[in-house]
Amino acid sequence: MNPKKLTIEEIQEALRKQQYICDRSLATVVYLSIIMGKPVLLEGEAGVGKTEIAKVLAEIMATKLIRLQCYEGLDANTALYEWNYPKQMLRIKLEEVSRGDRAAVETEIFTEEYLVKRPLLEAIQSDGSTPPVLLIDEIDRADMEFEAFLLEVLSDFQITIPEIGTIRAKLRPYVFLTSNRTREIHDALKRRCLYHWIDYPAFEKEYEIVMTKFPQVQDHLAKQICAFMQRVRQMNFYKRPGVAETLDWASALITLNRQELDEKTLEETMGCIFKYREDLHHLREELGGNRLDLNQMLKESPELPA
Amino acid sequence: MQISDEAILKAVERYSAVRGQGTVANLLAFGRVLKETGVRVSLSQVMDASRSLEFVDIARRADFHAVLRSNLVSDKEELPLFERVFDCFWHEHGPEESPMESVEMAPSSSEEKREDSVGAGGSLEEMVAQASSQEAKLSEETERIPVPTYSPHEALNKKDFSDMGIEESRAISRAILLIATKIATQVSRRKKRATKGNEIDPRWTMRKNVKYGGEIIQLVSRKRRIKKTRVVLLCDVSGSMDCYSRFLIQFMYGLQNELWGVETFVFSTSLSRITHLIRTKDIGSALERISHSVLGWSGGTNIGRSLYTFNREFASSLVTHRTVIVIISDGWDRGDVALLEREMRSLKRRCHKIIWLNPLLASENYEPLCKGMQAALPYLDLFLSVHNLNSLITLGRTLQKLVA
Repeated sequence: MNPKKLTIEEIQEALRKQQYICDRSLATVVYLSIIMGKPVLLEGEAGVGKTEIAKVLAEIMATKLIRLQCYEGLDANTALYEWNYPKQMLRIKLEEVSRGDRAAVETEIFTEEYLVKRPLLEAIQSDGSTPPVLLIDEIDRADMEFEAFLLEVLSDFQITIPEIGTIRAKLRPYVFLTSNRTREIHDALKRRCLYHWIDYPAFEKEYEIVMTKFPQVQDHLAKQICAFMQRVRQMNFYKRPGVAETLDWASALITLNRQELDEKTLEETMGCIFKYREDLHHLREELGGNRLDLNQMLKESPELPA
Repeated sequence: MQISDEAILKAVERYSAVRGQGTVANLLAFGRVLKETGVRVSLSQVMDASRSLEFVDIARRADFHAVLRSNLVSDKEELPLFERVFDCFWHEHGPEESPMESVEMAPSSSEEKREDSVGAGGSLEEMVAQASSQEAKLSEETERIPVPTYSPHEALNKKDFSDMGIEESRAISRAILLIATKIATQVSRRKKRATKGNEIDPRWTMRKNVKYGGEIIQLVSRKRRIKKTRVVLLCDVSGSMDCYSRFLIQFMYGLQNELWGVETFVFSTSLSRITHLIRTKDIGSALERISHSVLGWSGGTNIGRSLYTFNREFASSLVTHRTVIVIISDGWDRGDVALLEREMRSLKRRCHKIIWLNPLLASENYEPLCKGMQAALPYLDLFLSVHNLNSLITLGRTLQKLVA
């Protein structure tokens, strides 16, 4: 499949085949990024599928997914490359015994063989027929210095290693950056990217997601699950559940062989949806106060096209 | 700040002359309107958007919309505003009708256009130049968009600072020096090489010892690095702060001259940057210059609007995750509380720490009851008292504990 010849519809369809349901606007952004070689910056609440899309895209393209998880203090050594010191050291020691040529050793221990490749270098050096997908996850966790460094790599797709020389990407990787908005990303980096905000899915979309992932699930139960999730997202919880939680919960209910959602079932499985004690407590209170009526909720949910 | 529909409409109308001259001109106009209404858009983004449009069917409004949005917006907070401006700008062409007429391709054939976009120079750049000259004309003719504001009156008083005692000012300077160093240092998670550190740096140890044939003779260690912080000082000089004004000036002056990279602003109903005015060793003349050039000294207070101005105009260039924002104010705000809250939130996301120094906090029965102060509270890292020399010294000690 020639990625440059894909259309928006084909991308949306291919994603759907991989069980990733997305709306047309996200497919358009993915399409543009492939055609124009621009990175995509995805933002959204936790568990709405920011990381997932990069994984799925790698599968569609039948290419490698290279992931760089960011954290505070992440530096060029961990993101780009590092020399393999023990190996270099060993080589030197061996040469000492055999009394080899010192100058030759010095150049040899700074060749690719002694290089530990980290994600960014790997992405740039990759030489398959299709470019790899590079996922830079949670960029907001890394610090500003790293962002600046990343900006440089993403603009030229080349890396200079003093001992070896400049390595230029043969194929521009498809780059996806995700952020949870714990801090602002610098404007310069943002400007280089296509931006997309992934919102919580609407009822219809969430229902479709559940049905795609779990075709065996009862229609009624799926609707109940989605109606409930839609409702709790409008309520005041410390951590609102994402699609990931919906799927966890659905999977749990299927495993438990439940056909119907009732208060007892909810009580048993609510650990799938809420991960904070305060939230669990809050949910119990709401249930106790009859402010959450499961049947009512289902009635209120929008009609689905048959 | 909430921009009214009329303001958007007005901005759209202002650029109506530029329209109908092809995609790029239209997009440039759209970009300008976005910028004026408060969406941060750069020229390169507009040009990228125009290139992107070649790859989609612009007759499909949803795709057209998605392309513009992903290229021109880079912050969730700006999405709602973008939607409104988008609807207004491309409004004449209903959703069913194709936007083709307005986005009419330049008369040249599409092949030619493609050539331009790969960088042959040509008409895209010309268009940009043309459009910006047109813009220049336009902006001369029309006034800025009136920003909806709350402003009781901007009293234009001049303060007399001549009677500042030298001894007093020396003592304050010393106290400020202590505070300044505390504010300005934070321990980084990044490491730097050091002769005495608590960790071995294998990379550099190896490097250093290559010359001994790989025998480890010298150890290189590393330690946590001290980060240099930037400080932005926002000083309330409204009427309610009058009795502290001498002290404030001292504080601003002191901080500015003790630390590298301090930016100083004063605000009442509006915000002014006075960094350049106090970048001098001569406090007497500094005071004179400020009192001459700052409008609205001792006027009403609108913290929200001042922060809005700050966030829009200065934050992107002055505030990084290393910046410590110091706000000195009593929190008596007469502006829009929702706005204040929103701006505090956006400021908080950008910076390292927000420290609020409140002179009223000193009185024992003070509680931050006024709405403005309450709205700001959740976003503060430190909320401390400052009103005289003694409190400054205490502040220095507190900071030592808190920031260390």
